[in-house]
Amino acid sequence: MRPVRHDERLNTTVYKSECFICNQGCDALVHVRDGTVVRVEGDTSSEVTKGTLCAKGLASKEIAHHPDRLLYPMKRIGDRGEGKWQRITWDEALDTVAGRLRSIERGSGPESIVLATGTNRGWVRYFMRFTNAYGKQWIGPGIAQCFYPRITGQTLVLGGNAMENPHYDATQCMLVWGVNPTNTWPVKGVGMMDARRRGAHMIVVDPVFSEAASKADLWLSLRPGTDTALLLAMLHTIIEEDLYDKGFVERWCHGFDELHKRVAEYAPEKVEQITWVPAETIREAARMYATTKPASITQCLSIDQVADTISTSRCLAMMAALTGNIDVPGGNLITMLRQVPPGPAHSGAAWVTPEQHATRLGSREYPLLAGEACMITPSAHNHAVWKAILTGKPYPVKAVYCHGSNMLLSYANTQMVSEALKKLDFLVVADLFMTETTRMADIVLPAASWMERGSVTQNEQTSIGHFHLQQKTIQRGECRSDITIINELAKRLGFGERMFPTDESYFDFLLQPSGMTFETFKERGDLAFPHVFRKYESEGFRTPSGKVQLYDQKLEALGYDPLPAYREPDESPVSTPDLAKEYPLIITTGGRVPVFRHTELRNIAILREIVPELEASINPETARGFGIGDGDIMIVESPRGSMEAKAHITEGIDPRVIQVPSHWPGMNNVNLLTDNEKCAPMIGSAQLRCQLCRVRTK
Amino acid sequence: MTLPKKILLIDIDSCVRCHACEIACRQEHDLTAETASCWCRVLTVGPRRVAGKLHMDFVPVLCRHCDDPLCASVCPVNAISRTNDGLVLIDETICSGCKVCIYACPYGCISFNELNRTVGHCDQCRGRTEAGLDPACVQHCIGGALQFVRREELGERTSGQHRFLSGRVCYVSSKWKLQGNV
Repeated sequence: MRPVRHDERLNTTVYKSECFICNQGCDALVHVRDGTVVRVEGDTSSEVTKGTLCAKGLASKEIAHHPDRLLYPMKRIGDRGEGKWQRITWDEALDTVAGRLRSIERGSGPESIVLATGTNRGWVRYFMRFTNAYGKQWIGPGIAQCFYPRITGQTLVLGGNAMENPHYDATQCMLVWGVNPTNTWPVKGVGMMDARRRGAHMIVVDPVFSEAASKADLWLSLRPGTDTALLLAMLHTIIEEDLYDKGFVERWCHGFDELHKRVAEYAPEKVEQITWVPAETIREAARMYATTKPASITQCLSIDQVADTISTSRCLAMMAALTGNIDVPGGNLITMLRQVPPGPAHSGAAWVTPEQHATRLGSREYPLLAGEACMITPSAHNHAVWKAILTGKPYPVKAVYCHGSNMLLSYANTQMVSEALKKLDFLVVADLFMTETTRMADIVLPAASWMERGSVTQNEQTSIGHFHLQQKTIQRGECRSDITIINELAKRLGFGERMFPTDESYFDFLLQPSGMTFETFKERGDLAFPHVFRKYESEGFRTPSGKVQLYDQKLEALGYDPLPAYREPDESPVSTPDLAKEYPLIITTGGRVPVFRHTELRNIAILREIVPELEASINPETARGFGIGDGDIMIVESPRGSMEAKAHITEGIDPRVIQVPSHWPGMNNVNLLTDNEKCAPMIGSAQLRCQLCRVRTK
Repeated sequence: MTLPKKILLIDIDSCVRCHACEIACRQEHDLTAETASCWCRVLTVGPRRVAGKLHMDFVPVLCRHCDDPLCASVCPVNAISRTNDGLVLIDETICSGCKVCIYACPYGCISFNELNRTVGHCDQCRGRTEAGLDPACVQHCIGGALQFVRREELGERTSGQHRFLSGRVCYVSSKWKLQGNV
C-alpha cells in the first residue's frame, strides 16, 4: 500500500509505520483524524510481520493520548522526589542540562557523568553513538542481563547472530529455550504456532508450564539456572549417539575433540541430579532436536540471567552447529549484517580512547561487558556504577543523564539503586510518563512515543532481511524524539558535529547501503531483500579460525575456560545450603505477561484490566505447606528484602520453585529481593532467574 | 432459517492467551473499562493433569450468534434480532437497558455499557467485514486460533478434528472431544 493514504470507512489519514513498543517492530497502520490517533492496526501488506500486532500495539492510541503524558520539559522546584515541578522551555531545559553537566565534569572529572538508557526502542543505537561521541560510560538494565551475553556467546562461536533467528517457515522441530514467544515476540509467536499447526515438533525448556509449554510435545521443567548443564548433557547425547552432522563438523567446526572431552563430564544421569530433568527425557529431547531436520532454536532473555551466561549461549549455538542447522532453511539464520551501515561507523567506536576503556566501571571484572574485549558497544557494569555513586570509589559519579529507563524498577537490588539516585547531584530523565525514576529527577524531558517520531529500523532479532519505516503521525505537546533531544544536547555540549544535524539526516545515513534517502524510503514504504542461505560456504564464519569455534582462544587469552562449563548459581540449595535452610525456595524472576512491556503500560486501563495484579506462581503442595491459599497476598523474602505478590496456585511449577514476574512498582517490585553483586563471570549478568527466597502469608 | 455465509472458526488448540483479540475488540469498538468491556475474552482451563500429563487450554469466548437466540426471545422491547445472514444484532436505539438478555445468555457474552445504559456484544465486526476486512480479533490473532471462513470451507478446514458448531461460531480441537452438534 501507499505509505500515506485515506481510509474512507473511518475517514482517517492512514500512515504506514512501525510499532516500537517492544523491539519486535511490527509494521502497523496508524489512522489519524484531526491530529488524533483513532486506530492502530497491523499492516497486512507487510512481507515480514504480515498484519501481526499484539495487545500492546493494539493499545497504542491509549499511550499516545494518555492524559498523564509528559508534554513539556520541567524542572524540579521541591525536594528531590517530592513531585513539585515547574514547566520550562526546551532551551532552558537543555541549557541547564549542558551547563550542569559541564560544571560537574569540571569539578569531579570526566568519569563523574554516567549516561543511562533502557530497552531498545529503535533509537538506542543512536544513544550508544552519543555516549561514544561524548566520551562517557553508560549503563542499561538489559545489557549484561539481556542481549549482550547471548549475542556475545554466539558471536564467539559463529562469528555473528543466528540464534535469535529461528526460521519457522521451513522448520520441522522447534527447541524453545526459556522463552514464551507468543507473549514476548508476536511475530515469532505467529511463526511458531504456524509451524506447530503444520506438524513441526516442539520442545519447551522452562521451569514454568507456560503458554508455549502447553503446546509442546516435550516440556523440560528444569531447576532454574541449570540451563548449561542441561545443554551439555544434550550435547553429550548428540555426540555419544553419533547424532551430529559429521560432514559439517569436519569441514566447519574447530575444537570438536576438546568439546567431546568436555561433554563427557556431563552424562545425562549426572545432569539429572543437577537439573531435575530425568536422564531419559534429556536424551529424548536431544534425539528429537538432532534427528528431526531441519531444526530451529528459539532463545531469549532467560539465558542472560543465569550464573554462566556466556557458556549457556555458546552451548546453544554449538548445538545448532553440530547438527548442521546453521543458516539452512528451517534452522537458525545468520543475520546479513552487510546490509546495514557498518557497526563502528555507526557507533563511533573510534572515538573511544584506551584510557576510557581502562577506566570504565567493571572493565577489569567483566571484560566482555565493559572492557575493550566487549564485542558490542562496551557498557559499564551497573553494580559498579551504583557503588561509585555511593562510595566515590574508584572515583566519584555525580550525575546521570537517562533516556527511557525506569531505573528504580528495572535493575536488580532496588534498595541500592534508590540510595544511589538519591545521592546524585544531578539526574535528568527523558520519558513518556512520570515514573518512579523521573520523579527523582532534576530535569524531566518529554519524549515522543513511536507514533510521534520517524525511524528506520532493521531488527536483527526478528526481521533480518527487512528495513522498516516509522513515520511521524502526530505531535503531542512539546514532545521531541529522543534523537532530536540528543542532537540538541550534543550541540550545546560542543560535539554536535559527531552526531547528525537532524533525525532525517541520520536516517539517510542508515539507508546508505540501499541507495535510498529517508524521503524516497517514505515514498516506497519498506525494503526487503531475500535471505542468502549457507553464506559460510562462500565466506566462511566470521571467527578467528573462519570456522565454528567450539574451543575459544580469545577466552583462553583472557584467562577464562576456552570450553563451556556449568557453573552452579551463586545462591542455591547446592552452593549455599545453609542459606537455603532459611530461604528454602528457588525464585525465578522475569517472566513476562503479554500486555505489559517491562516497566511500561501498567497505566493503560484496557491492558491493566486484563492483568490487574502481580501474580506469583506457586505449586499447590508448597502453598499448602506455608498455609497460603489461591489469591492470598504472600510476603516473599530474600536476604536482600521483601515484597508482596498475589499467590497463583498452579501445578505448572515445581514445588521447590516460585516464579515472580518482574517490573511491577511499589511493594510488588521483585527487584527488592534480587542480588546485583554476585554476577556471571566475563560479562557480569545478575542471576535474576535463580536466587533463594521464602514465602509467608501477609 | 437461513444459513450464515461466514463462520468464526475458533481452534482451541492454537489459542495462546496473548489477549490480542480482546484489545483489538476494545479498540475496534471503542470499549473501555467504563463502557462494556468484555465482548471478547479468553478463559484459561488448567493447568490440570489428564492421564498423568499436564494440560492447559485457552478458550476465546464471544457471542455465538445462536440459531435460536435466547437473548432475543427474552428482550421485552424487541431490540435484538437475527439477520438473514445469521448475525444476532442489538439495536441500541431501542434497547431499554433492562439487562434481561445478560442473564439469559448461556455464555455470558452480553455486557452492559454504563455510559449509554444499553447492552452490547460481538457483532463479528460488521463494519469491517462489510468493507471486505476480517474481524479485528481474527486479523490480530497471534496463535492463528481465530479464523473467519466461508461456510462451505468449514468441512475441509475442520476435517479430522472434533468440532462444535453453533450459530456463526465453530469451536474446533484435535486434542479434546467437544460435545455438540455438527
